[in-house]
Amino acid sequence: MRREWEARIDSVAAQFVLGEAATVAPAAEALAWMRQEAGREGWEEIARLAARIAERMASSPQWHTEGALAEGLDKLRRAVEAATAGDAPAAGKPPNELAQDPGLVGDFILETREHLISIENDLLTLDREPSQPEALHSIFRSFHTVKGLAGFLEFDAVRSLAHEVETILDLARNQQLAITATVIDVVLESADYLKQEMNRLEAGLAGAAAGEAAAVDALIVRVQSLNRTSVAAPQPVLAAPPEAVTDAVTGTATEAVTGAVPEAAPAAAPATPEPSPAAPGAQPPAAAPAAVQASAEKFSVRVDTQKLDHLLDMVGEMVIAQSMVRQDPELAGLRSPRVTRNLTQLSRVTDEVQKTAMAMRMMPVGQLFHRVARLVRDLSRKMNKPAGLELSGEDTQIDKTIVEELADPMMHMVRNSLDHGIEPVAARLAAGKSESARISLRATHQAGHILIEIEDDGRGLDRDKILAKARGRGLVGEGHTPSDNEVYNLIFEPGFSTAAAVTDVSGRGVGMDVVRRQVAKLRGRIDIHSEPGKGTVFQLKLPLTLAIIDGLVVGVGGERYIVPIFAVQEMFRPTPGMLSSVKGQGEMAMVRNRLLPVVRLHNRFSVTPRTQEASESLFVVAETGGRRFCLMVDEFIGKQEVVIKSLGEGMKNIPGVAGGAILGDGRVGLILDLEGVYGEHTLA
Amino acid sequence: MTATVSDNKATAGQATDHRSGKYLAFHLGNEEFGIQVMKVREIMGVQDITAVPHTPHHTKGVINLRGKVIPVIDLRVKFGLEEVPYTQRTCIIVVQVKGDHASTLQMGIVVDGVSEVLNLTAADVEDTPDFGTGVETRGLLGMAKLKGKVKILLDIDHVLTAHDLTSLQEALR
Repeated sequence: MRREWEARIDSVAAQFVLGEAATVAPAAEALAWMRQEAGREGWEEIARLAARIAERMASSPQWHTEGALAEGLDKLRRAVEAATAGDAPAAGKPPNELAQDPGLVGDFILETREHLISIENDLLTLDREPSQPEALHSIFRSFHTVKGLAGFLEFDAVRSLAHEVETILDLARNQQLAITATVIDVVLESADYLKQEMNRLEAGLAGAAAGEAAAVDALIVRVQSLNRTSVAAPQPVLAAPPEAVTDAVTGTATEAVTGAVPEAAPAAAPATPEPSPAAPGAQPPAAAPAAVQASAEKFSVRVDTQKLDHLLDMVGEMVIAQSMVRQDPELAGLRSPRVTRNLTQLSRVTDEVQKTAMAMRMMPVGQLFHRVARLVRDLSRKMNKPAGLELSGEDTQIDKTIVEELADPMMHMVRNSLDHGIEPVAARLAAGKSESARISLRATHQAGHILIEIEDDGRGLDRDKILAKARGRGLVGEGHTPSDNEVYNLIFEPGFSTAAAVTDVSGRGVGMDVVRRQVAKLRGRIDIHSEPGKGTVFQLKLPLTLAIIDGLVVGVGGERYIVPIFAVQEMFRPTPGMLSSVKGQGEMAMVRNRLLPVVRLHNRFSVTPRTQEASESLFVVAETGGRRFCLMVDEFIGKQEVVIKSLGEGMKNIPGVAGGAILGDGRVGLILDLEGVYGEHTLA
Repeated sequence: MTATVSDNKATAGQATDHRSGKYLAFHLGNEEFGIQVMKVREIMGVQDITAVPHTPHHTKGVINLRGKVIPVIDLRVKFGLEEVPYTQRTCIIVVQVKGDHASTLQMGIVVDGVSEVLNLTAADVEDTPDFGTGVETRGLLGMAKLKGKVKILLDIDHVLTAHDLTSLQEALR
């Protein structure tokens, strides 16, 4: 009995969740059944609610976006629960099987996270331009969807929080509540709570003991309190029908305003969700632009990364097979223009396929920027330094992994800019600058790399202060006058901070160290330009993708190795005069008036080289971790872009080997990890 | 010289003994071995193997298996037999074994040659005799007597666990 009721209500609720794709028919059918059944049982309240909802759905084409309807449905659910309480099992409600399904919960987490990202973006837009109905509608829709999904899976804390926020947003949509910073704060906080909750659910899925849901009640109360102030505020008055006030399901003032529709007499019904006649005409018709935007949105497909990687593997193989066919001497011997033409076409197509496959791993850098936007907002408030953020190049595509790995360094750099770079308001005004500071984030493509710049208009780096501090710590010797660049790079030293006091924002000297390490891990580099009094620019130069590496293919004996090109300074054949040895063991070479250690790759990797004689070999000058050394190899074979592959389980963390790559002839070449190759040298 | 045998899933009834079923027979010197066909992905002729430094001696290196890089183990070295140069008959059997954390990984094993696919019934299989100390029997499923010859049935998961590789690697450092 109760089950049957629940099933019907869920089927109606499902239509709300479907949003644009919803249809009236199944919901209407379920409601009709409820009305009839309730009439038979003598549950007048339920019959009345069901009738009201059905009527409302039939009369408004935009019913699925109406919070009030969804709320009416909630009320119906509660009434049904109360009415059928008799035949529910004594132990309470049965365990929800849906919430146990890892697939469903996983999808829920994924989808909610996507909504949370867009919620945060839209909130920040709204913070800048409070009169942005589109952003508001979009936030409302996202919360609504999350609520529906959470209700479906019976995550009650999530559902009720989303519900309260939705109520607030609905008020704002109807111009009964002004979007103030407080409102945005509370909504942001709610989004944060949901984020935490998603992490907790995910941990639960991964098999970790899922703790209890964090206390949500306090937050709900705060959300509700916004609501009460709104009712008290002199807003366009909406006469709450007396019937609704007495209808004390939850007993809060909230219900009186937003919950009115389903209960209210039909005459009062059109008042709330549609732009109320009392509201200024400035409010555009809400639904129309929303629909246009939705249809303009790109469709996307979620794909398992494993499948994607497999596709990339196969494409790589196809390119190799293609080049093997093209270079086949027998085919070349044919000298047939037709074959040549077709082969050219084939290679063009394979190139295109490879490019497309690679692009699938890419995503716009904008998501990263928006996270920074949130940080700037929070920090500028906290530190009392008003700051505006300018973004450009948000659509620049970059490897998904890089976006993820870059989040931390970006946070640290922006935090650094706000804390150290930007002056307090008084100092800014004294320096003739605008009160509000400006931070800009820019992303551009530059010759096969992506360039991300973080610029502030603060006081710039204090060369003397940094130098003094560095001298104090013995990082720079007395009498040595380093270049600007060298000085600026000191701020990346571990534990280096010029901040006089450690705050909870920065000053421990940890952040920038993390930045440099992370950027190096991503095979990127970081440059600083700074002008005293004008501001600082951090420039991050990163590869477009981590999956591909530009490499020098070198040979030692029969083996071939790939040296990452970003670390290579130069390459030459040494003359006997350049070489010297230390205590008959350590070899050194004089390169451009610098003594560099020589590392024989064949010794490191125990392979038999073509020659033991240094003057018959080839030296590759490589730089890693700020140190240079000469790598001795037999020969230089060529330069090639290769796809990095893992050597598989059991072959990870081999010193000196970063991975494998399929070379042009289909063989596997090992990619060198120069740090490892050199590091071993120092141990030896 | 590449043949896929993964389709030949062992269909023989497993009700009597989990060890009955189809086996791929191969040999190393004079000894005949069998591994469960279910574990075999494909058989390929020996090809260029890229040596990987700092790995145990029996790890010959890595090969390109249609775009994937997989490790290759020389079973002769692994079993402590004398190393011989590779010939026309030398094969790499690509097997799928259990890795850490319930994952599976592919590996190649170099053998002197493959002979046939055997269909073994429970009656053909005997437990591994106890050799006393000094003989490692953990990687063995049992023995099969067929046409007067004994074939050693390998539990390939045990023979080639990644764990074994990593532990050796750590020991080398």
